Amino acid sequence: MAQSTPVRRTPKKERDPKRIIAPLVVLAVLYIGLEIFLRVFNVAAYVMPTPTHIIQATISSFHIILPDFLFTLKIICVGFCIAIPAGILLAALFSQFDILVKAMQPVVIWLVITPMITLIPLMTLWLGTDPNLRVIIVIIQATPIICLNTLNGFTHVEREKLELARSVGASKLQTFVSIIFMNALPQVFTGIKLGCIFSTIGAVSADFVSRGQGLGDRIIKFTKYSNFEESYGCIILIALIGITLYTVVEMIEKRIVLWKK
Amino acid sequence: MQNKVFSVKNIAKSFGSEKEHNYIEVIRDISMDIDEKEFIVILGNSGCGKSTFLKILGGIDSATKGSMELYGKNIGRQIPRNALKHFGFVFQSNNLLPWRTAEGNLRFNLNTMKLKGPEWEKRIDEMLDIVGLLDYKKVYPHELSGGMKQRVGIARALVHDPDILILDQPLGALDAITRKMLSYEILNIWKKTQKTIIMVTNNVDEAILLANRIFVFSNKPAVITHEIRVDIPVEQRNHEIANNQRFNELREQINEIVRATL
Repeated sequence: MAQSTPVRRTPKKERDPKRIIAPLVVLAVLYIGLEIFLRVFNVAAYVMPTPTHIIQATISSFHIILPDFLFTLKIICVGFCIAIPAGILLAALFSQFDILVKAMQPVVIWLVITPMITLIPLMTLWLGTDPNLRVIIVIIQATPIICLNTLNGFTHVEREKLELARSVGASKLQTFVSIIFMNALPQVFTGIKLGCIFSTIGAVSADFVSRGQGLGDRIIKFTKYSNFEESYGCIILIALIGITLYTVVEMIEKRIVLWKK
Repeated sequence: MQNKVFSVKNIAKSFGSEKEHNYIEVIRDISMDIDEKEFIVILGNSGCGKSTFLKILGGIDSATKGSMELYGKNIGRQIPRNALKHFGFVFQSNNLLPWRTAEGNLRFNLNTMKLKGPEWEKRIDEMLDIVGLLDYKKVYPHELSGGMKQRVGIARALVHDPDILILDQPLGALDAITRKMLSYEILNIWKKTQKTIIMVTNNVDEAILLANRIFVFSNKPAVITHEIRVDIPVEQRNHEIANNQRFNELREQINEIVRATL
């Protein structure tokens, strides 16, 4: 029988410049459009300052914002980094027992839906007012969503794949590691990406309730003293933290999940 | 062809229980002896329980009654884990692991069976070469065509050097042309590797081309209704087999049997 040779595949791995340029163009259009719109219609600064003013004011007050920025960044990153293994391990544990999946899934969904800032007044009562305790809020906000998606991946494996494992005599651990876990990886990453969003929301909302420190607290202070430009600047900074985390996770996903078309 | 490799005795399989009114008898009573280097083909209508039978042979499922014998040793109603390395299973829809390359899919079998070392690494290449895909070693399944995927599936089933190759409708999910090509390829693989093969199909031509014995299964619950010995010499089994007189006789005969069981 003739040996087949690979057909030249199109090198799709190459970076498409359009993917980077197109969003930048949108950003530029948005920036210039807003700038013109706000100036022409004379919109008051407390409704929406112009982008240029936002950037100028944010840079000049950055020394005030920086400690809060670093604090929030720390809370989000630490919480997020604990939530990832916690979510995956919990899902791995639940998936081992059918009854546990059935019992825990509604509980996990319930936890995903409940906004965890509602716990802050109570938590202050239990644990004191240390701002670093906001990490706990981030963890309990992000872990359930990671767990839910991962669990969904762990419990939806094609029967044929499990039959393959049985036909070669794979142990329970081998089956879990090289079939169930690998099969769920795309869903695990979906969970982690949602975890980025939930962590950011958790951290900032914790600032709003507990006050004293963090970008959320800074926004309230700036707004109170009519520094609207800086308020918007802080909002953009929070968004940047979230987007950066999301992008990092997505880049890792593209490196690992090579089989997704 | 006298060495008895594998035999099944009065295998039966049922699901559910009569108490809960969901009792289904899939296989009633199947016995067969399989000699070394034989090519057994099982013919039957869809849903007649032939896949269930193969799953029992492949160690994926257990029988509810009966027993099996491997090299004269009784192994009971389910193939034990340590005997699974004697079997290689080819699935209906290739069933490759999408997160592993062609090579990685073959390595999966070796890893789970703890077969390590340079001789096994070499065997990965040899098996990919046998199915003509050595150049596709590092390619992921989604970049392969349907026929190529199934060829990797066959290479994977052969990589741990099993004695018995089990094929569950390996050509079922392919288009007509690829199906025909691949059926000749399976014939070649059989000649080259000298394995004992048990294959399920619902295509009569394929069965006569490949088999030296054909078992026809009845509808559910399955029993063997006919056993047909295909006495066409291996040399005459090629692209011209459709002109072979014996081929056409057998085809006529089997088609009649199949029509009767419908």
